[in-house]
Amino acid sequence: MTRSTRDIICVEDVVKDFRPGFGLRRKRVLHGVSFVVREGEIFGFVGPNGAGKTTMLKVLMDLIRPTSGRASILGSDVSETEFRHQVGFLPENPYFYPFLTAREILTFYAKLSGMAEPTRSQRVAGVIEWVGLEHAADARLKTYSKGMLQRVGIAQSLVHDPIVVFLDEPMSGLDPLGRKEIRDIILRLKAEGKTVFMNTHILTDVEMICDRVAIIVEGQIRYQGTVENFLEDDDMRSDVVLSHLPADLGVRLDEDFDARIQGVGDRIEIHLRDKDVSRLLEMALAEGAEVVSVTQRRISLESIFLETVAKSREGSSNR
Amino acid sequence: MRIWMRIWAIATNTLREAIRNKLLYTLLFFSVAVIGTAVLIASLSYVEGARIIQDLGLSAIRLFGVGIAVFVGIGLIHGEVERRTVYTILSKPVSRTHFLLGKFLGLALTVWLQLVLMSIAFAGVVLLSGGTLGFGHAAALFLVGMELMLIVAVATLFSAFTTPMLAALFTLGVYALGHLSRELYHLGQQADVASVTWVATWVYRLVPDLETFNKTIEAAHGMPISAVEVGLSTLYAVGYTTALLFAASYIFRHRDMK
Repeated sequence: MTRSTRDIICVEDVVKDFRPGFGLRRKRVLHGVSFVVREGEIFGFVGPNGAGKTTMLKVLMDLIRPTSGRASILGSDVSETEFRHQVGFLPENPYFYPFLTAREILTFYAKLSGMAEPTRSQRVAGVIEWVGLEHAADARLKTYSKGMLQRVGIAQSLVHDPIVVFLDEPMSGLDPLGRKEIRDIILRLKAEGKTVFMNTHILTDVEMICDRVAIIVEGQIRYQGTVENFLEDDDMRSDVVLSHLPADLGVRLDEDFDARIQGVGDRIEIHLRDKDVSRLLEMALAEGAEVVSVTQRRISLESIFLETVAKSREGSSNR
Repeated sequence: MRIWMRIWAIATNTLREAIRNKLLYTLLFFSVAVIGTAVLIASLSYVEGARIIQDLGLSAIRLFGVGIAVFVGIGLIHGEVERRTVYTILSKPVSRTHFLLGKFLGLALTVWLQLVLMSIAFAGVVLLSGGTLGFGHAAALFLVGMELMLIVAVATLFSAFTTPMLAALFTLGVYALGHLSRELYHLGQQADVASVTWVATWVYRLVPDLETFNKTIEAAHGMPISAVEVGLSTLYAVGYTTALLFAASYIFRHRDMK
């Protein structure tokens, strides 16, 4: 299968400031965010709570306007309206009019997308079947479980057969079975050639289904690329414990290596990339330090993510 | 064509949501009850029983109509933003202006629907008590509808940028000022202080003159209401409503959906 690399979403240097109250003081939530999402991929937009994920998604949905920068979807500026018949969106914890049935709400969204009969009814029936809600299609939404509502949310984002789908925390609040169902739906979307942009902080899901990720921390992109590269570069780590260190060795190691160093007195523990271990040992032994232990471990995306977040926060608190 | 389909979809959904609102039925029940009790009050008077029934009935329709327009209207847009239903709606090819127009149209339909129901109750009470109905009553009720449409537009404007509580206060404030502005204007013209005259004049110019739509006395007393007067009042309501919706649309287009 040949894979196109057409850019579906382009975000260039987006800045967003908010005024928390009535004062003139502004709070910067997005600090020049840039990334690209390519056709047919599942793109994970990953970050801890409050990192700016939902704000970025709201910019893309034109629910909030960027202070500066530019964002486009399918070549159209996000402030335009008409291209949105090619875009689907599932907000976090979606709420739907409880007095409507799934069929009624999907018909409503199909009308908003400009779909006329008989295509509309056929498409509504098709998407109900696609998300597995045939048995409850004519029941009021107030009788639905959270998982069923999430499927209605996905159905409304697909009812007009969009090219690109935006999902905000699609697995949030679901049990393991519900999460698997949503994962399967996302993989089916990819198989149908749709591009999926997914905001999430559940890293196991990212590892399982995303082709590429962008990690956002405190409104800044810290990593952007494939999940494989992210893991290949950093997936082997070592913990080295040294003792009897000369007084300034700890400081010099901290300067020379991309590592996290913890410890007191003359005993320190160093967490670093596996490829740097021999150089570190050479340096430590030459300085007369004693090697207590070297432990090699393969780490998950979650560990790397936590480390990235910790480093970013350390960096910003030092500034 | 597609734009109208979208606006109409939002309007019918708003109507459906409004007619499921228990507050609407409560207000509607009380309005019909008050119209009914007009018969009782009229029976206590020795003179002009028919006039009292009509006076009270039309006033009840105006009062409860405004209650419904304000209390159902103010929460409609705020509710959509709070519950985040607006997120999924605006992610479709629906502009903010179209969304706002759809919400306004839905609420205007709700208001006209409840006006028709209250008018039927009013007509029933008047006819059963031996009174007569004519063009004057139809004209007065139609102008109540136009006034309510204008109030819905005011509620839509405030609802586009503030909380339901503040929107209710502001809308009721405009309603009260709108009925007093003519009096204020005349009082201002007689004032000795120039600034008082200036303020009274600008209040009169900016706030809609809602007394234009009040034909209760004329209808109840069988006084003539000309078609030209009705036509001009209708034009006034449509013009003001359009201006308010333009302002609401401008504000709503520029706000962030936090």
